[in-house]
Amino acid sequence: MTRDDLLALDGVSRTFGGQPTFLSGLLGQSNQGTRAVDSVSLTIRRGETLGLVGESGCGKSTLARIVAGLIKPDRGTITFKGRPSASAASARPRVQMIFQDPFSSLNGRWTVGRIVAEPIRVHNLRKGSAVRDRVAELLEQVGLSAADVVKYPHEFSGGQRQRIAIARSLAGEPDFLILDEPTSALDVSVQAQILNLLKDLQRDLDLTYFFITHNLGVVRVIADRIGVMYLGQIVEIADNPTLFEAPRHPYTRLLLDAALDLDTSDLSLHPIPGELPSPQFPPPGCRFQSRCPRMKQICIDVEPVLTYEGESAVRCHFPLLSDRQASFPA
Amino acid sequence: MSIATETLSHRNRAIQGLEWLWQSVRTAPGPSLAGLIALSLVLFAFVVPLVISSSPFDPANADLLNSLNPPFWSEGGSMVFPLGTDDQGRDLLTALAFGLRTSLIVGILSVIIGLVIGVSLGLISGFAGGAVDTIIMRAADVQLAYPALLLAMIIDGAMRQALGTSRDTNTAIAIVVVSIGISFWVQYARTIRASVLVEREQDYVAAARVTGRSRLAIIALHILPNIMAPVLVIATINLAIAIITEATLSFLGIGIPLTQPSLGTLIRNGNNFLQSGEWWIVAWPCAVLMLFVFSVNVFGDHLRDVFNPRLRTRR
Amino acid sequence: MTPILEVNDLTVTMKRPFRTLTALDRVTLTIGKGEVLGLVGESGAGKSLTGAAIVNLLVPPLRQTGGSIALAGRRIDTLSRDDMRKVRGREIGFIFQDPSTSLNPVLSIGHQLIETMMTHLPIGRDEARRRAIAWIDRIGIPEAERRLDQYPHEFSGGMRQRIVIALALCAEPSLVIADEPTTALDVSVQARVLQLLKDLHGETGVAMLLITHDLGVIAKMADRVAVLYTGRVVEIGPTSAILNSPHHHYTHGLMKATPTPNMQTQRLDAIPGSMPNLAAIPSGCSFHPRCPRSDATCRDHLPRLSGVESGFACWHPLSAGGTS
Ligand SMILES: Nc1ncnc2c1ncn2[C@@H]1O[C@H](COP(=O)(O)OP(=O)(O)OP(=O)(O)O)[C@@H](O)[C@H]1O
Ligand SMILES: Nc1ncnc2c1ncn2[C@@H]1O[C@H](COP(=O)(O)OP(=O)(O)OP(=O)(O)O)[C@@H](O)[C@H]1O
Ligand SMILES: [Mg+2]
Ligand SMILES: [Mg+2]
Repeated sequence: MTRDDLLALDGVSRTFGGQPTFLSGLLGQSNQGTRAVDSVSLTIRRGETLGLVGESGCGKSTLARIVAGLIKPDRGTITFKGRPSASAASARPRVQMIFQDPFSSLNGRWTVGRIVAEPIRVHNLRKGSAVRDRVAELLEQVGLSAADVVKYPHEFSGGQRQRIAIARSLAGEPDFLILDEPTSALDVSVQAQILNLLKDLQRDLDLTYFFITHNLGVVRVIADRIGVMYLGQIVEIADNPTLFEAPRHPYTRLLLDAALDLDTSDLSLHPIPGELPSPQFPPPGCRFQSRCPRMKQICIDVEPVLTYEGESAVRCHFPLLSDRQASFPA
Repeated sequence: MSIATETLSHRNRAIQGLEWLWQSVRTAPGPSLAGLIALSLVLFAFVVPLVISSSPFDPANADLLNSLNPPFWSEGGSMVFPLGTDDQGRDLLTALAFGLRTSLIVGILSVIIGLVIGVSLGLISGFAGGAVDTIIMRAADVQLAYPALLLAMIIDGAMRQALGTSRDTNTAIAIVVVSIGISFWVQYARTIRASVLVEREQDYVAAARVTGRSRLAIIALHILPNIMAPVLVIATINLAIAIITEATLSFLGIGIPLTQPSLGTLIRNGNNFLQSGEWWIVAWPCAVLMLFVFSVNVFGDHLRDVFNPRLRTRR
Repeated sequence: MTPILEVNDLTVTMKRPFRTLTALDRVTLTIGKGEVLGLVGESGAGKSLTGAAIVNLLVPPLRQTGGSIALAGRRIDTLSRDDMRKVRGREIGFIFQDPSTSLNPVLSIGHQLIETMMTHLPIGRDEARRRAIAWIDRIGIPEAERRLDQYPHEFSGGMRQRIVIALALCAEPSLVIADEPTTALDVSVQARVLQLLKDLHGETGVAMLLITHDLGVIAKMADRVAVLYTGRVVEIGPTSAILNSPHHHYTHGLMKATPTPNMQTQRLDAIPGSMPNLAAIPSGCSFHPRCPRSDATCRDHLPRLSGVESGFACWHPLSAGGTS
């Protein structure tokens, strides 16, 4: 771990379920559980934005919650600023989290002022009337008004509520923010505002972001480095333009092709062939083998490992060439 | 989902408030009326005893000259005793207020007891899970096998055994309150437990946990305020049930002693005169009981619809 | 040639105790035979409402208070409830955002397909079953015969949405209204579902009203596009023309705010503010408080749509190249 690393995950895994239930026993199903997160190792550097993309159910939120200390991993370690800990919890309040749904992430019975002040009060960061001043300052920092403290969350739009959530997370004076799809519930125009706000805050406050999304356009704009997840595993990590310009994992390539752009001269769509396997019954060997156009026998027999090559890493027996020939023969 | 609502200005908020009031009266005139009736009866029960400070049930106030007067519109009735008098010459209108007050106090206290026990057990059950959860919920199942009235009778009987027969009015009332209250806890516990299981998965709880709030603080400050609405609905309806149970127990002679006016004792007393033609002595308390219970139920049912989780939005 | 669908000055209002709110304000759209018209706009713009109004499914307090709707030359907004029910399903198919609410969870998908076809088409059960199998095959679900008897929960989200599409199209309607058909789906699954819609559109020639808030979907799917803002059409025309040189600042703003994987910039141009509530629609051009080019004219005067087939409602339109 270098001095610049803020956080390192090493072989972190989490399985849900697994104990046979009465019903599954009755139905004669064997139940080995869902490996939501499977031996994930990665580092997050101070001041960067690490993006994490992947399809629904691939384990992004579970990983985010493990890092936030909300879920305990079954295996693996999380090292925060060089201190080993079961989670980032012991290093609180340096970690805060922002959630996808701005309607369920704020307590609807609290005023905005009380919501934003909560982390300040819990950690005694300010005393007396300084709390009020700080809340006003935070609300203005995220583009709301100090007069909003007396209002309730339901009086705000989705984008404004996400701003409130951001103000609350900043109130804890964190240096690390976990953002789990913070703009997925928002309109594009509001999403752009929030992304710009996050960028400005990162610059001004020297924040580190772990940014989860399923929108490839959003990571393109916000992330410095990007991890791609498939069925609980990280299959590729690369820095921002590289991942888009020269993806190495076939899955990354296909995912990029499937994304839509605004170009009306090429109307073709590129769906990924096959269906996403159930995370409960992943295919043997390489997890992507069942849909991969480069699949060979070894992919079924041997599970590839995440192999680093400089800054980038890929988990594939036959990665695409890195010198920008990264497309499949037609 | 339409999330692009602008922050409402103060003027708009005032208009919205008015609209909401108007809308609820217009869309639900029945429940609004019912709420008004229940409220008036409560005021009647608590204000009249303030004005007429001495209870008509005080033996010193017996007025045998005016006993068994009929209501004012009947032959022999007068506006001095608009609803008539009973065998002791007590004014029934005043007696009703005092009786309803006792019934309401019994009802409210027993609802509070049930609520406190039920909410606590529900919270423990929902959060602890495992064996504790199982034990509490099985106890609830067992309790549900007994009708509330039977249970109240058993508890009442047991407590009388324990305390002996030398009981004053207040002890008798306390016994009734406790026995009715205990029979209520199951509903609260189940509702709270179910809500806790839903609510603790919400992101605002996760956010509070990431911030470093303790579990107890999260329960008290975040979860409890968000799950009290359905409990209040049950409490309203239980108030009606408690008053009926009190009346039934007192009517059967195992509730509140005849020396203390309550809807139950009034009915019991009046019942003796039904055969001899003095119908009004029993009719008034019965009518008040029905009117109150009916309006509380209508209002409570409406509240239930308003708080229906499927209709309830977080906005 | 008469278009399949003609919506003229459609106005939908909502009565409130002290005022009447306008949810759709003189919306005018036409969809030609076999054409795909995209309807795009932010949340609350009135996209779903337009779809619901066309099939007469507005729920009180919303009510159509003006304009006309004609399907293949015949007024349908004045039809009786029973006649309208026959139009829905038979002549107009519907695809909703959430596949789980448009499929009946207790009936097998085969049952649902067969019943739909037998209700609307003059065919018997055997023929309907044969066609149902063909449909499941067509939407790319293997082992069609066996899966016919399975229930919705036995399929993945993407498969369910494909089944919904088959259900909407199996009665051979002349128009489908697809309300955010891929919004609930992942990128990869989205491409699959859009491909299916595209293929079926090519095979059957059904006209389509494609409601979405995603300009990427519009770019790949729609022949023409209408941009909706606060219940008004602010720009309409051929998709490539509009996406390559939008005239309305709102359209332009939406495009610049949409992040795509191949974009070169690291910072998006956001439209300031957010879409106003129905109760507080600004005067004049309703976009003026958020518009970089607005002036007193925009504040005081409502711009008219410059053309019904292709036009924009803006006092200071952008010319080609993005300047005004
Ligand atoms: N508490 C839980 N109990 C059981 N299974 C769970 C639990 N949480 C998540 N899972 C399962 O773990 C897998 C990963 O879920 P997760 O929510 O992390 O996915 P995700 O990548 O965040 O998806 P999305 O994009 O839909 O949010 C899924 O198959 C999910 O069903
Ligand atoms: N049943 C209803 N009662 C009251 N207002 C409604 C109702 N349905 C829609 N509205 C209002 O009408 C407007 C348009 O709603 P509509 O559902 O058409 O938006 P939309 O463009 O489809 O948005 P979304 O992208 O969120 O689906 C919104 O302001 C909405 O609040
Ligand atoms: Mg998630
Ligand atoms: Mg909609």
